[in-house]
Amino acid sequence: RVSSDGKPPKFQPPPKPVIIDRKTQKEERRFLSPEFIPPRGRTAPLKYYIERKDMIQRRKVFNIPEFYVGHVLAVTTADPYASDKSKRFVGICIQRGGKGLGATFVLRNVIEDQGVEICYELYSPRIQAIEVLKLEKRLDENLMYLRDALPEYSTFDVNMKPVPRMDHEEIPVNKLQVRMKPKPWSKRWERPKYNIKGIKFELPEHKMKAAQKWSQPWLEFDMLREYDTSKIEAKIWKELSEELEK
Amino acid sequence: MMPIWTKSGEKRPVTLLKVQDCHVLRYVSKEESGGKTAKLLVGGKNVSPFSKPESAHEIFKEAGVPRKQKVTTFNVTDDAIIKPGTPLYAAHFRPGQFVDVTAKTIGKGFQGVMKRWGFKGQPASHGQTKTHRRPGAISTNKAAKVYRGKKMPGKMGNIYRTSFGLKVWRINTKHDIIYVNGSVPGHTNCLVKVRDSKLPTYKDCNKNPPFPTFFADGDEELPEDLFDEEMFQFTDPSVTFA
Repeated sequence: RVSSDGKPPKFQPPPKPVIIDRKTQKEERRFLSPEFIPPRGRTAPLKYYIERKDMIQRRKVFNIPEFYVGHVLAVTTADPYASDKSKRFVGICIQRGGKGLGATFVLRNVIEDQGVEICYELYSPRIQAIEVLKLEKRLDENLMYLRDALPEYSTFDVNMKPVPRMDHEEIPVNKLQVRMKPKPWSKRWERPKYNIKGIKFELPEHKMKAAQKWSQPWLEFDMLREYDTSKIEAKIWKELSEELEK
Repeated sequence: MMPIWTKSGEKRPVTLLKVQDCHVLRYVSKEESGGKTAKLLVGGKNVSPFSKPESAHEIFKEAGVPRKQKVTTFNVTDDAIIKPGTPLYAAHFRPGQFVDVTAKTIGKGFQGVMKRWGFKGQPASHGQTKTHRRPGAISTNKAAKVYRGKKMPGKMGNIYRTSFGLKVWRINTKHDIIYVNGSVPGHTNCLVKVRDSKLPTYKDCNKNPPFPTFFADGDEELPEDLFDEEMFQFTDPSVTFA
């Protein structure tokens, strides 16, 4: 290499390597509570808009945390007949139902060998606090089969301390396979219509094969049943985040 | 329909009714109509004028208003007469009032006697030959005829029915929506007639309603939402019992 002056070329240190931290650059996870998504129907969209305004209003005053089916929650409600005027119930969330203001979630726990399920309304003014004690998704969206599972899978300590969470990403999925009580069950959970992945079926092979007789493999190709909510969700998420920032 | 909570934490179901382009169309005096009071013709929701002949548009042209889907009559006293062409808004009603709602029920088509009139039918087994949902006997021996009005199978639904004494919980003046307690006859998005309640218990319940109606260009500036006193508003903190 020929230098412009007579001097030897100046030492150019090599460029420093740029470390791109892929973890922090991961897209922020957006959670839209399922009761905001309007169901398919002939109701005017104005009704859902008005309902959403009320839901956002309630969320501004009272914090409803993000939770899924399978989380362990503690709910304190106001009760005129209790001595402290408030009741606290700890349980695992089995199902989340309803849309709009009437959205509900069912908490299950086994207290003194008696299974107890309580259905709470998310937007009821009687609820004073909802704390998420343990964050953990399960393999299914509906854990109703816990009624027929051994009671140890539904027992949670009433005075459980909230499990501390490290990151604000990646809710862990518990791939627990639950063992069941002997049949008869409240529903035939081995049938493909329930599509349950979280049970360890100890039934004989021929019974599992016989259950597949009720499978409806054409359902997943049925175009009339498709309900694509991605665009609706994006719009509602934008509206929600704008309103909650105010 | 939507849930609503009271201040003591009880849940009530509520129906949302939207007041869409309501205008007063014509005033019919007591002598002209032949009834006991004067009548006001009111029209609802706007609709395209091209599906009906010009002769049907006369009422709307006089009032200066686009063609309406539904026209109803209200019996009105002489001091409550409104000029034809004035728009009517949801603020005509106030929270705490009681209201009667009339609409055509959902049509069920030709239905049998068990669904239409609630007959018990016959048992499913124990020797019944081809008789499980039939009416059975239709008259006695002595009568030797079937009485007029005998309950029999026929077209069910699609008739006007009224729910009486429904409480108004909330009024949204921006979108003209009335929140009415309980359920209302008719399918979703059907046209409905809302009237002050005629029940004797609610005769003195309407304290100072906007009389004869709420005028938008008047001096009164109403807030966007009017709530009933007993209703829990979402701006308040959670309910606690002291």
